Amino acid sequence: MTPAESPVAKTGADLRIPFGLALAGLACMAPLFLGNYPLHAIIIALIFLLPAHGLNLLLGYTGLLSLAQAAFFGIGAYASALLAVHFGTPFYLNFLAAGLVAGAIALPLGIPALRLRSTSFVMCTLGFVIIGQAIAKNWIGLTRGDMGLAAIPKPYFALGPASFTVSGTVGFYYLVLAIAALATLAVYLIVRSPAGRNMIAIRENETLAESVGIPTWHYKLIVFMISAVFAGLGGSLYAHYLTVVSPLTFQMYYSTTMLIIVLGGGAGTISGVIFGSLLFVGLTEALRVAPELRMIAYGFFLLGLVFWFPNGFAPLIGRFWSFLERRK
Amino acid sequence: MSGLPILDISGLCKSYGAVRAVDGVDLHVDRGEICGLIGPNGSGKSTFFDCVTGLARPSAGAVKLDGQDITGWSLSDIARQGRMLRSFQKTVVFSALDIEENLVIAGQMFTFPGIWSTFGIGAAARNRVAALRERARELIKIAGLWDVRFQAAGKLSGGQQKLIQFASMLMPEPKLILLDEPMAGINPKLIERVVESIRLANASFGVSFLIIEHNIDVVTSLCRRVVVLDQGRKLAEGTPGEIVQNQAVREAYLGG
Repeated sequence: MTPAESPVAKTGADLRIPFGLALAGLACMAPLFLGNYPLHAIIIALIFLLPAHGLNLLLGYTGLLSLAQAAFFGIGAYASALLAVHFGTPFYLNFLAAGLVAGAIALPLGIPALRLRSTSFVMCTLGFVIIGQAIAKNWIGLTRGDMGLAAIPKPYFALGPASFTVSGTVGFYYLVLAIAALATLAVYLIVRSPAGRNMIAIRENETLAESVGIPTWHYKLIVFMISAVFAGLGGSLYAHYLTVVSPLTFQMYYSTTMLIIVLGGGAGTISGVIFGSLLFVGLTEALRVAPELRMIAYGFFLLGLVFWFPNGFAPLIGRFWSFLERRK
Repeated sequence: MSGLPILDISGLCKSYGAVRAVDGVDLHVDRGEICGLIGPNGSGKSTFFDCVTGLARPSAGAVKLDGQDITGWSLSDIARQGRMLRSFQKTVVFSALDIEENLVIAGQMFTFPGIWSTFGIGAAARNRVAALRERARELIKIAGLWDVRFQAAGKLSGGQQKLIQFASMLMPEPKLILLDEPMAGINPKLIERVVESIRLANASFGVSFLIIEHNIDVVTSLCRRVVVLDQGRKLAEGTPGEIVQNQAVREAYLGG
């Protein structure tokens, strides 16, 4: 079910390093050969990679389907925007605060929600998105309601007397790329830790996991909070990149997009989710040039995916590695 | 201390509405003993196990493990102590993972001091996992599963999965293991292997057992003492010889 654990993936590890380095090099040089519009599409894809990584930890590794990622994404976006607009705090503070606020809010939401059984849990997380949007719309004193918050400053860094502002697509691209790389490393370390093994055990069989002493409820709560932190960080980037946030940041469409990234890319694999976000978010951004056809094309694409690649693209990537392995 | 039974259960009851699945059962397992628990289907054996191991909450009664009252504790809290572990009637393994990973998972919570330490990525965490792997490999060899150790556990036969489950339970060096029908649905040759494994664990590692089993030959050969449940109550208790001769047991369970 999960190529990450299969022997094939184990033997392919030595090839992954040069390929990973090549891809990283390519990513670093992308602004040299890509125009501003494709670069913008990649930036959006990399921003969505963060909540998708969080959802992957929750769904792909722990087996919990949550639709709440958009809620935490929105919370992160608003937290960051409010700090920047009202207090003029530097970007890195807003960014970290967005993650912390989202994670902290996930605690009281997760405690009751995780007591629910599978389907009820999904419905409950869906409720969080709707409540989030209602608050953003109606707490006008704080959020300015439907008008949203505008003129969020572009990220700037202040270290002592020196400060500089990340403006322009290329600058933002490198900022987001660096953050996405760090986030990917963080997910990798979590998944590879003994806790990651316990998470997989919970996904595979919760009762059996309990019978070997794993406190499953605590793990689920911790992972729910970690996933919210990732979503909040993504929301912060989103706010600073678009420089506006509105109640539309809390929309179900974002939750389903994150779900499509994880399921389409390959739940329970890191490379699948990276691939998924580039494909599904990058592609929809790129398709904006043909707006009428965009959603139709996207719909057909998803149908094709379900029929031909029910486990997402990750098995395909796995097969690619073993193919290279045999050629060597 | 050593005179105390490892497991001491008194007056255990479990009701589901008006139905009394377990009705005031007293039972103890002595240190180093292999004790059998038999009875017809629906006699409350599995419910009894669930109440003892924390999967279900007993309605009344007390469960003492090693002198400590653990009545009403949760499954994972009891298991995390590493003293008493259980198997399930329907064999379960972590299907997508190979045997070694199955065993490492089964040992992790007994090696790491807390939840947060399991997120560790440093040398300390790596050394702990390496030690677990070492022990897992030993147990895999003993269980005779070495050749298939990299296969996904879910792809293996029912009998092999039983052996994985059994080896998993030995990871934390428990004092007591509760087995729920360990011989169900496995072929005679593997039955011998599982019986041998139980004997070995009992003799070499000093593990006590409480075993639910329908295969009366297995019960007779392994256990010195057998408890019979019927309709949630204790019907009889004694050596296998006494039980087989017991008129009430023959009528209720062994069939004339």
